[in-house]
Amino acid sequence: MGRVIGKRLFSIMALCAMVGLLLLPIVVALPSLALGEEATAGGAKKEGATVEKGRDVYYKTEGVVVGAPAPKTTDGPKDYPRYNFESRVLLWFANQQHLYYGSFVLAVPIFCMIIEFMGVVTKDKALAKRYDQLAYDFIKISLTAYSLTAVLGGILIFTFLTLYPAFFSYLSSVFRPVMHIYALMFVAESGTLYIYYYGWDKMKEGFLKWIHLSMSVVLNIIGTLLMFLANSWIGFMMSPAGVDEQGRYLGNIWHVIHTALWNPLNLHRILGNMAFGGGVVAAYAAYKFLAAKTDEDRAHYDWMGYIAMALGVAFLIPLPFAGYWLMREVYAYRQQMGITLMGGLLAWLFIIQATMIGILFLSTNYYLWQAMGRMRGAEKYQRYIKYLVFLLACGYMVFITPHTMVMTPAELKAMGGQQHPVLGNYGVMSAKNGGINVIITTTVLSFVWYMRGNKVSTVSWAKFGNIFMGVFFTCAYFNIIGLAVYGYYIPANVRVGLSVPQVTTTLSCLFFMFALNSMMMKGAKQMGPIEWGKISARSQYALIMLATAFTWMMGLMGYIRSSVRLFWHVNEIMRDNSPWAYTHTVGFAANMISANVLFFWISILFVFWLGSLTAKKAPAEVKVAVPGSVPQPVGSH
Amino acid sequence: MAVLNNPIVAVIVSLIISVGYFLAVDHFMMDMQGLDFWYLFRQ
Repeated sequence: MGRVIGKRLFSIMALCAMVGLLLLPIVVALPSLALGEEATAGGAKKEGATVEKGRDVYYKTEGVVVGAPAPKTTDGPKDYPRYNFESRVLLWFANQQHLYYGSFVLAVPIFCMIIEFMGVVTKDKALAKRYDQLAYDFIKISLTAYSLTAVLGGILIFTFLTLYPAFFSYLSSVFRPVMHIYALMFVAESGTLYIYYYGWDKMKEGFLKWIHLSMSVVLNIIGTLLMFLANSWIGFMMSPAGVDEQGRYLGNIWHVIHTALWNPLNLHRILGNMAFGGGVVAAYAAYKFLAAKTDEDRAHYDWMGYIAMALGVAFLIPLPFAGYWLMREVYAYRQQMGITLMGGLLAWLFIIQATMIGILFLSTNYYLWQAMGRMRGAEKYQRYIKYLVFLLACGYMVFITPHTMVMTPAELKAMGGQQHPVLGNYGVMSAKNGGINVIITTTVLSFVWYMRGNKVSTVSWAKFGNIFMGVFFTCAYFNIIGLAVYGYYIPANVRVGLSVPQVTTTLSCLFFMFALNSMMMKGAKQMGPIEWGKISARSQYALIMLATAFTWMMGLMGYIRSSVRLFWHVNEIMRDNSPWAYTHTVGFAANMISANVLFFWISILFVFWLGSLTAKKAPAEVKVAVPGSVPQPVGSH
Repeated sequence: MAVLNNPIVAVIVSLIISVGYFLAVDHFMMDMQGLDFWYLFRQ
């Protein structure tokens, strides 16, 4: 009894420590912020009439100038010291690797929180144990990656200091009021993660489990705040605020953080990280599945791969819409920036992006169709899959069609212009919005089929429900395609709004049809259990494809977002005068992204291998814990 | 409920609900942005 109370006390103290860690940066920051204000006010009093005021470039408010102007750099060893190599490429590499690992270690604890919660609320004890083990497996993978993230962060800072000292010094001077908060947040994240991980066994039941679950919430709040702060730097570089036209800080740190693109970037990155994290864990599970020697292992990793894929795709579906919001805000902030992105210098990269998005959805659908193979009763859907393939292929082809073609003068003459007389029509946003919405709606349909694969509804209105679902999906397709066609007949200023009803149609299918399906499948008759592990190897390659495509696309989008600043370090405030202030060719960028992807996957394989070493040490303990458990994983860690 | 399980009735009811719903989505989503969904038909 005393031991239980002791454990409870320990758990509550650990949770309080975490909350304390969360609040620590804020508490530490308060006096310094207050001091900063006093110093400014004091300085103003001393200076008397010589107080200089500046006008915020974005918010258009007036403020007392407290910072130095952005340095006017010159190409030389003082501002741009270098090795005999392109500094931008080195920084690109360091930045991208840090971002990959950072995204992964921020996403995985969110998965853990969701899965652990599912385990806590599930009434089936065996299933609850499986969820708990899965969450533990996830966090174990991320722990090694976490150390690597910190190392890569250090490398990134050194790269900045060594190769771009003037720029880094300016950026850190503007963000000085929150720099130490970022560092403290990082300490809080590390402390919380280790308490969360090492406290798993001590807090696995009852009240203590809820405390443990609360810890994951605190951990994710810290992680998210950390990411928001990091996002504010790139937001400031793209759409500066809180400074005057010379780049002088005006004393309002919230303006510097809360730039025009900060919130769209935050949302886009959270969703992107989750989709990416799901992809990486799914690839890990696929790799373990393919390497598994026993049916038990295959069953476990098949299940793990499915859960990771489902979570990843759940965040992938709203990702294009978050992307649209970001682009909309980019256009609202600077129309020219939007044109450079979508219709100018970087437009071809968006064609590649569309190709990658299409691959993501095709891989997901392919995996789901393969996964139906492990369910008895799902055969009835097999004959309809060819129609889904047709819809996906049509949507995909429209989605990747470029507006104009790269051609020789002879080809240009033969075609009578840069636009193909037929295909050119598909290269506009009206058609592309239709294409991607058809793809996403089809993915939703595949998910609905998968969810009801081995079940037969027993509700009295089952027939009506099935017909309604079919009619609703058909009408949704007609509406999406109809709106895409309608867009050709109305002016651009009206057409631009059609994407909203198209997106709403897709989301209606997602929410209403998932809800309807769940209602219909309540108490449904099972045709047979899901036979985990009995899935084709091809499906696992689809998961690996999914993860690789995520990684590649993240690299690509990061490059697009960064290169839209063109020759500016901080858009319209601090000019990049290094010899590398030009936009690379599409080919060079693609090679660079591929090299980054390759390095990430080789290094993450190393992380997986390290994780497997600890797993190999455990089997004696593991076998004692749950002898002969078939798909169920172990109960002890 | 038994009437709704008749395929013809089910299709008709489903069509009325779905078409009505999507037209409402198109109209109100455009209206929300200050745009006219029926632009072409008013010309």
